[in-house]
Amino acid sequence: MNQDLDTRADAYVLGLLDETALADLEQALADDTAWRAAVTRARDRLLPLDMTAAVVPGAARLWDGIAAQLGRQDAAPAPNIPPSLPPQTPQPANLQTAPRRWLQLGLVASVALCIGTVFGGNWFTAEPVVIAVLMDDKGAATAIVEDFGSENARIRFVNAVSVPAGRQMQVWTLPSAEMGPVSLGLLQTASTEGLHPPALPRPIAGQLYEITLEPEGGSPTGRPTGVILAKGLAALQTGT
Amino acid sequence: MTLSPAPRPDADDHATDDLTAALAGCAAGDQAALRLILDQEGGRMLGIAQRMLHRRDLAEEAVQDALVQIWRKAQQFRAGEGAPRAWIFAVLRNRCLNILRDGKRLSTLAPDDLTAMQDARLQSVGAGWDRLGDKVALKDCLAVLEPPTRHAILLAYIGGYSHGEIAALQSVPLGTCKSWIRRGLDALRGCLS
Repeated sequence: MNQDLDTRADAYVLGLLDETALADLEQALADDTAWRAAVTRARDRLLPLDMTAAVVPGAARLWDGIAAQLGRQDAAPAPNIPPSLPPQTPQPANLQTAPRRWLQLGLVASVALCIGTVFGGNWFTAEPVVIAVLMDDKGAATAIVEDFGSENARIRFVNAVSVPAGRQMQVWTLPSAEMGPVSLGLLQTASTEGLHPPALPRPIAGQLYEITLEPEGGSPTGRPTGVILAKGLAALQTGT
Repeated sequence: MTLSPAPRPDADDHATDDLTAALAGCAAGDQAALRLILDQEGGRMLGIAQRMLHRRDLAEEAVQDALVQIWRKAQQFRAGEGAPRAWIFAVLRNRCLNILRDGKRLSTLAPDDLTAMQDARLQSVGAGWDRLGDKVALKDCLAVLEPPTRHAILLAYIGGYSHGEIAALQSVPLGTCKSWIRRGLDALRGCLS
């Protein structure tokens, strides 16, 4: 048994190796039998320490979030060129001499334009981590929040709202009870708007989002102070 | 938090067989197999994650991400090459370490939250040692190490502390800390072999 290998495997399993070495060592697990065996031995040796952790109830409710990510992963990744693009694009009679690839580029461009219209420039490649449908106190859908994590979110109104003079809508989320409500931004109008939240933990299933009516310029306290216009809980969309 | 007695890992061959089969199921694309892993190990996984991350929301995130990774990497586990549980927990511990070492993530915590997190991590390291069963060979072998060396190893494994953090906690130079841990792990291997 190679002692250096075992020493390095121990350090690897304890999470003590330099980050720059990690990627190579992870990769080597696939094809370096001796390294793989050393890491396996180290993990098995220290496993009793994992078994001293408490069994914490409530794990089963994580399933929906996990399953949502599996479904997305199994689905075909969003291609750059739509797979439905017909290989034999019908050509108008007056364009018979046009090179086919120009036609195809045209199609791709128009599809890209559609996606751009739907998602807006910033959202071209992004998929929201969570979506929350915000409802008023009568249960009517008012707005939809898509939170992309990474300090990006978007709100889209699906119903009319009335904002009294001197008030302004402010969007909030509750990343956790400890953290308390955090502002995602002030809204000028009830239209589709990009939001620029601060750096927050990755949104999770069931996270609360809401819109309140605040004094113009936003809540004076940094926490929601006004009437809640609409609120809703997030549904997880993706694992990335 | 519910505490249940820690079963000896070598005492439940059924669980090992079930997990080996479940990992094969995951590799074959059977979601029910992953669900079985969550049902059987999810509680312990949450416990492991909570020792390192303290906050329930971060622990849940880590467990969830780990299970998705387990699903994706299940074909890398080879039956008979070690305990399936050790492999599953290794994926989880990696995920927890990534969260801990991602400065941006923890910088969003309020200072009080961060302090509470560090205190809780330290406590759980001590509790882990106390709960290690007397009949486990690892306990005997850890017990003969110098206390600071043993503590350093437990800080790294249970609490997810880095060399630098351990050196600071133990008020020793980084080089001393590294050599304690290295010598301790070498002695541990010798003792267990």
